Amino acid sequence: MALIQARGLSKSFGSKSAVRGLSFDVVPGSVTGFLGPNGAGKSTTMRLMLGLDNGEGLTTYDGVPFRELKHPLRQVGSVLDAKPFHPTRKAVNHLRMLACSNDIPNSRVNDVINLVGLGDVANAKPKTFSLGMGQRLGLATALLGDPGTLILDEPANGLDPQGVHWLRNMLKSLASQGRSIFVSSHLLSEMALMADALVVVGRGTMIASGKMSDFISTSNRNAVVIRVDNAELMTRELRARGGAVVTEPDGKLAITGIDSDRVGGLAHELGVRVFELSNREATLEEAFLDATGASEEFRASMGFGGQPQFGGPMATQQGYAQPGQQSGPPQQGYGGQPGQYGGGQPGQYGGPPQQGYGGQPGQYGGPPQQGYGGQPGQYGGPPPGGYGPPPEGQPSTGRPSTDRERSDGAQA
Amino acid sequence: MTGALKYEWMRIRTIASSYWMAGMAIFFTSAITFLLAVTVDGNDIDDLGLREVTTFIVLAGASIPVIPVMAAPFFAVIGAMSVGHEYRYGTNKATLTANPDRVALLTAKLLVLLLWVVATVVAMLLLNFAITWLFVSDPEFGGHMVRPLLNYIGYCCAFATAGFGLAALLRNQTGAIVGVLVYPLVAEPVLYGIMAAVGDATSEGFGRLSNFLPAAAGRRSMFDPYEIFDGFGTIDTWGVGASVLTFWIGVLITLAAGVTSFLKRDA
Repeated sequence: MALIQARGLSKSFGSKSAVRGLSFDVVPGSVTGFLGPNGAGKSTTMRLMLGLDNGEGLTTYDGVPFRELKHPLRQVGSVLDAKPFHPTRKAVNHLRMLACSNDIPNSRVNDVINLVGLGDVANAKPKTFSLGMGQRLGLATALLGDPGTLILDEPANGLDPQGVHWLRNMLKSLASQGRSIFVSSHLLSEMALMADALVVVGRGTMIASGKMSDFISTSNRNAVVIRVDNAELMTRELRARGGAVVTEPDGKLAITGIDSDRVGGLAHELGVRVFELSNREATLEEAFLDATGASEEFRASMGFGGQPQFGGPMATQQGYAQPGQQSGPPQQGYGGQPGQYGGGQPGQYGGPPQQGYGGQPGQYGGPPQQGYGGQPGQYGGPPPGGYGPPPEGQPSTGRPSTDRERSDGAQA
Repeated sequence: MTGALKYEWMRIRTIASSYWMAGMAIFFTSAITFLLAVTVDGNDIDDLGLREVTTFIVLAGASIPVIPVMAAPFFAVIGAMSVGHEYRYGTNKATLTANPDRVALLTAKLLVLLLWVVATVVAMLLLNFAITWLFVSDPEFGGHMVRPLLNYIGYCCAFATAGFGLAALLRNQTGAIVGVLVYPLVAEPVLYGIMAAVGDATSEGFGRLSNFLPAAAGRRSMFDPYEIFDGFGTIDTWGVGASVLTFWIGVLITLAAGVTSFLKRDA
């Protein structure tokens, strides 16, 4: 089974650099996830790996470049497009056409078309196929030569939940047989269940590469959470010991820089009553957003309701936003000045919350320098029990505003 | 190379449009031959004797300037689809991951394409011979037909090759089909007319430039007799050898541009 070694992959489109010096390995027996925001260069990297694009660098499969493989389909299977077939050529003929070029017997065509669940429509024309069926036919193409390596670009797109489940199990099964699986996906929850290792890119450059558990452990959202009867004392003492402490909306303290044993020990020393003490582990999604927040190629330009829904890239020193409110920074907010929301720090999209979250200093989530809701210092997120103050002159509704309200806010 | 040939042979055989285009080329051409056979029936046409009339009927009128080569556009479309389908339906990446050697792939595509075209044209001509033999009184088949027939086959192959080259160059099937049809059937006749008229009226040298127009040169190569159309007025038209050469140089330039583009650009 093939070891994939990518070295120095680079590609430019005119003056724009799409991929810059990517080097990584995909080892046999593993599913390696390939993550990155839209426009990060994932598909370009995969095309470079398969010799489809002209660029710099080299990818080898057990030491052999793709273009030098004698029967490439029998060594590297790939899916790069959702529906890569002629709409009126029968599915089975599509596979036979590819098979014959690599001396793959027709019996294998029947095997893979049944394997992907398209046996009943093998003689149908793919123009009638749904996106999910198209993906399955693409997967059949990749599996045609029973290859030791699979390179799949968003293979789960268009699959129904059963299809996603099937794909996950199949890829894990194939990896357990010693194959090298390199797969990109935007379904981070799926990737978390499927991948053993990750390659994370942003704006064409390497952000992280290695085991998934190592990647997640680097997230700033890993924290020790404690609920005590004297939060003020505990916070002061933790900070004195080098810990970073953020007070969450429900009064809990989220601590980074000090492990749970020391936190518990400190509480005992201080005579503070502890009601809850736990370790909070970041999810892959949170770790991914942490790592790639500043490297998104394309960002949404609006939040909702005149309120901060985007808590910034989470590459924060202390605070972090809550799930659902952290998915990337808008570049312009409503009710504020363009470029002023989100913390207002150049290069810190969405503003790394440093202290406050709920619009109150000392609380969670980052005090923006300029107000998102129209007033400086009022941006940083929904305070406990409600959303931040509206732009001046607007009544507080305590709920996300409507489109009309947002529009008003934008004009404010 | 063997793998690429197998791939392309399977590709062209498993797509309905290959058969539709070939079928329509045969149908329309043989329909014209049938129409001419039952109406002309060996009668002289102007200065044409029975020998030339036989050629005229077998080639469905293509041996004189007035009637265009009916089959050529269909072969141009097949040629354009040979590469254009890859881009139109996004199959080029799957094709290249199965056949990474681009030179071998393009060579295989062209060889299979030409085989398909030649087989179709030969079948078509055999049918036309049969129709002529059945419906024309005492047709004169003979060696005089060899040059027009060979150049007819070459003309059809050239249209397919030009469509192939344009599709590889433009990476756009529709654009390639439009280009390969509009240039020889519309643009070049306009150019030819301007050159010939200006040359006849004012500058004979300018008129001679019309000899460099490849589609017109290719069209002349199947005339029987070749001298049936000797240009406008005083303009000297090149001989058959030079015309054939001019025609194929034009086609090969298109092919070379397409191949170079295909080999260098990203998939």
